[in-house]
Amino acid sequence: MSEATGIAVPSFLAHHFESLEKQQHAARLGMWLFLATEVLLFAALFAAYAVYRYLFTAEFAEASRHLETWIGLVNTIVLVTSSFTVAMGFEQAGRGNGKGTRLLFALSVLLACVFLGFKYVEYAHHFHAGELPGRFYTSREIAGPGGPLFFTLYFLITGLHGIHVVIGMTVLAVVGLRAGRGAYTREYHVPVELAGLYWHLVDLIWIFVFPLIYLV
Amino acid sequence: MAVANTEHEQGVHPSHVARYALVWVALLVLTFATWGLSRYHIPGVWGVAVALGIAVTKSALVALFFMHLWDQAGANRLVFATSLVFVALLIVIVLSDNATRFPLANPPGSEGALPVGATDYQVAPLSAPRGAGHER
Repeated sequence: MSEATGIAVPSFLAHHFESLEKQQHAARLGMWLFLATEVLLFAALFAAYAVYRYLFTAEFAEASRHLETWIGLVNTIVLVTSSFTVAMGFEQAGRGNGKGTRLLFALSVLLACVFLGFKYVEYAHHFHAGELPGRFYTSREIAGPGGPLFFTLYFLITGLHGIHVVIGMTVLAVVGLRAGRGAYTREYHVPVELAGLYWHLVDLIWIFVFPLIYLV
Repeated sequence: MAVANTEHEQGVHPSHVARYALVWVALLVLTFATWGLSRYHIPGVWGVAVALGIAVTKSALVALFFMHLWDQAGANRLVFATSLVFVALLIVIVLSDNATRFPLANPPGSEGALPVGATDYQVAPLSAPRGAGHER
């Protein structure tokens, strides 16, 4: 596949780009612009978290103790490892080994399933304990508005992050399958790179969620 | 490995396996470090400062090496760095606003949304209009 460069490369080049290199730079820059907007989306939630943690310091510390720290720790390890396997999948794509990319991306999707499984266990526990956002908070453990606020932010931040995990899994699965079918070459595998970038961002956000939500 | 490296002399992209593995191990070590340190309950603002310091280190490792900002074009770095500047602006300005207010001028949280006695979850009939109370 990669030997037939003369045939393979022009088919990837869109007509409005001068060269494949410029096309790849544009794709990468576009992805980074999108990731910047994602960072800002989460920043709004973290700003709300900062304000209410400042105003309800004791309640937030108390509410955080109602979370299973070990689940947060295990999920952090799972996500960091999945980021590593995605990076290795990209490495394989760089060698023109689409099957290797498919295997490593499949492993990452599997790790993401483990992550969501633990998330389900956690959410189920909170639903049973009545630790829900706002006026749905029925637990009597924490007095005042601090408890409901913590769980509002908990569900908003981890929920939005969870949606990103599901989107990331889908992207990895689609790109991984295409890579396995030989859709990309050693010279052109930008989709693999961009899918990886999205997954690393999901990991990056969780890196902040873990200490801020679980280790107050 | 050696073969792969000679192939990459032609300029596709260099092999990064060792780098990825090293970053992965570093991320795991830092994860356990932040978890271990949180068990000591470092007093005051230092606890969150240490936790955020470790988180920033970890995310820098991810952004620089997993996301390749270390060896990429300046424009991508600029875009990401700009977004981080605005994150810092948003959080610092909003937090310093609330921190410097007369205490009673701070938002009451969900206090207004909760009736006295904390739980209206089962009590409220579904037909009752409750939009106004919820907003405040």
